[in-house]
Amino acid sequence: MPDTIDTADLRSLVRPNGVHRRLYTDPAIFDLEMERIFGRCWLFLAHESQVKKPGDFIRTRMARDDVIVTRAQDGRVRALVNRCTHRGAQVCAAERGTAGGFACPYHAWTFGLDGTLNSVPHRQSMPPGFDIKDPRLALAQVPRIAIYRGFVFGSLAPEGESLADFLGPMASVIDNLVDRAPDGEIEQAGGIARQEYRGNWKLHHENANDTLHPSFVHESSVAAARSDKRDYATPAYDDHQTHTQMLSNGFGLREWQGVGLTGLANGHTFMGGFYKSGVLAPGADDPVLREYRAKLIARHGEAKAAAILGEDRFNNLFYPNISINAQYQQLRIVQPLAVDRTRIVVMCFRLKGAPDALFHRAVRFLTNLNSPASMILADDVEIFERCQAGLSNPVPEWLDHSRGLSTDRDAGGGRMESAGVSELPHRAQYAAWLRYMAGAA
Amino acid sequence: MSDRTQPAPLNAALKAEAEAFLVAEGRLLDGQRFEDWLALFAEDGFYWVPAVPEQSDPFNQISIFYEDKSVLTMRVRRLSHPRAYGALPMTRTAHLVGSITAEPGDEQGIDLVCRSTVMMADYRAGGDRADRRVWAGQQIHKLRRTPEGLRIVLKRVDLIDCDAAHGVLAAPI
Repeated sequence: MPDTIDTADLRSLVRPNGVHRRLYTDPAIFDLEMERIFGRCWLFLAHESQVKKPGDFIRTRMARDDVIVTRAQDGRVRALVNRCTHRGAQVCAAERGTAGGFACPYHAWTFGLDGTLNSVPHRQSMPPGFDIKDPRLALAQVPRIAIYRGFVFGSLAPEGESLADFLGPMASVIDNLVDRAPDGEIEQAGGIARQEYRGNWKLHHENANDTLHPSFVHESSVAAARSDKRDYATPAYDDHQTHTQMLSNGFGLREWQGVGLTGLANGHTFMGGFYKSGVLAPGADDPVLREYRAKLIARHGEAKAAAILGEDRFNNLFYPNISINAQYQQLRIVQPLAVDRTRIVVMCFRLKGAPDALFHRAVRFLTNLNSPASMILADDVEIFERCQAGLSNPVPEWLDHSRGLSTDRDAGGGRMESAGVSELPHRAQYAAWLRYMAGAA
Repeated sequence: MSDRTQPAPLNAALKAEAEAFLVAEGRLLDGQRFEDWLALFAEDGFYWVPAVPEQSDPFNQISIFYEDKSVLTMRVRRLSHPRAYGALPMTRTAHLVGSITAEPGDEQGIDLVCRSTVMMADYRAGGDRADRRVWAGQQIHKLRRTPEGLRIVLKRVDLIDCDAAHGVLAAPI
């Protein structure tokens, strides 16, 4: 039971140079994570373009709750727990759609888009104290919702830090994604990719900014791409993007060392970009990018457009639930399902006012990296699952994440920086994990 | 009801040709003869498994696979790499193809269009991690007659659960 794990116990599980295996295998720790991390932090729920007009809804997950994000008649975005207050049935079975409200299929209690209980059948049989306006009879609301530039976040904690404080410097990632749209707006489009792996959610986050693993884990896709001596000047259906994406993990260790790593006090981490060839590289040039740049310059002017396009950061991890690649218009949600099971949900965005072909590249990026048949992620997922299986062994108890420990630089304000081949992101994530789980030291 | 647009004998001959092709293709995949499977594709051929139900195009919506022959060639090369961890051990598969219909192609460069239902059971060994699954859906093969035999110009498989959350899919369907 969660209450058998006390603060001292939690503190004993995280060291500067490693963590205890129980963090990946103990269901009681998972329960506490759902309460203290996913139950308190701001979690990304949806993009406003997914609930454009009143009646639009989309489902997502917060900790253990199945949540319906709606836009109600008053235009406000809300997040409602998908559970009838009568007998507990889910009131919504669709992943997304448009509705006037939600009627429970069991006894037809009907709820408005704001969660209000609007009607129950056979009112006359309810006892005198039954008040349909009682808020306890409405669908449970996610207590706090905040929207930053179209990105809807929610927190299951009624009180806590503001979204602005939670995002901190990571807000600039969202700024950069939106600012890349020549019309100043983005919309989610192209479908949503889903994968599940049999491993703990934290394995995904550790891997996201781990610059040493690609040389080993992705060797097979790098080798397959290298054996294909293609000429990028020859037209290709995907503008050679698949080849580029596979090839890019083939950096040497010296090149990876040149990729900067950053960790923030609340566990957010990111790395520098490493796509240096083909149409995905910063500064790449082709007719699509020329047309796009001209449109962005028309909106922002040369200098600002160059600054927006020059931002080259990869896997911006907003601890604990999303990762954004602004330059490729990608957003990945990580949903823990159980201590040893995780779902990843990935979407991309259309930059309004940009050429269609640029959106096609975002769609291609999403397919290449997140399809269950991905030639890249398949190898990561295999490693997550091998780690989970390996960690079921009781010994050894400790995992090591000391690489780079002595060379991390403190950049002030809780910000740590390092050259590429360091486990700094792991350490930043676990420092935040411990603060969320056990409070400030 | 009789099919007025296609006389029965022609239909039967086409169907027999399509069935022979689809059965042979399934055997190549199940035998993990991926190089030979690749050779069934025309140089301008595509392999497409949509990730969105009733997907209209592969550029504006994501796919599970949308690969021309050059990318498919990289895929097959990766599978033969000794450290393609996601495919170690390689998934074993069994294809079952049925409900086959065939008709003459009505586009330039397409001689035969086959529609069928495919089911692929897959199994990945791995002790406690061993996994058995079933993939199923409708498929369409647009084929071209060449001196070397029928070649795939487009193979599209619409899985019934194409938009579900899946684990790794190492073997082509």
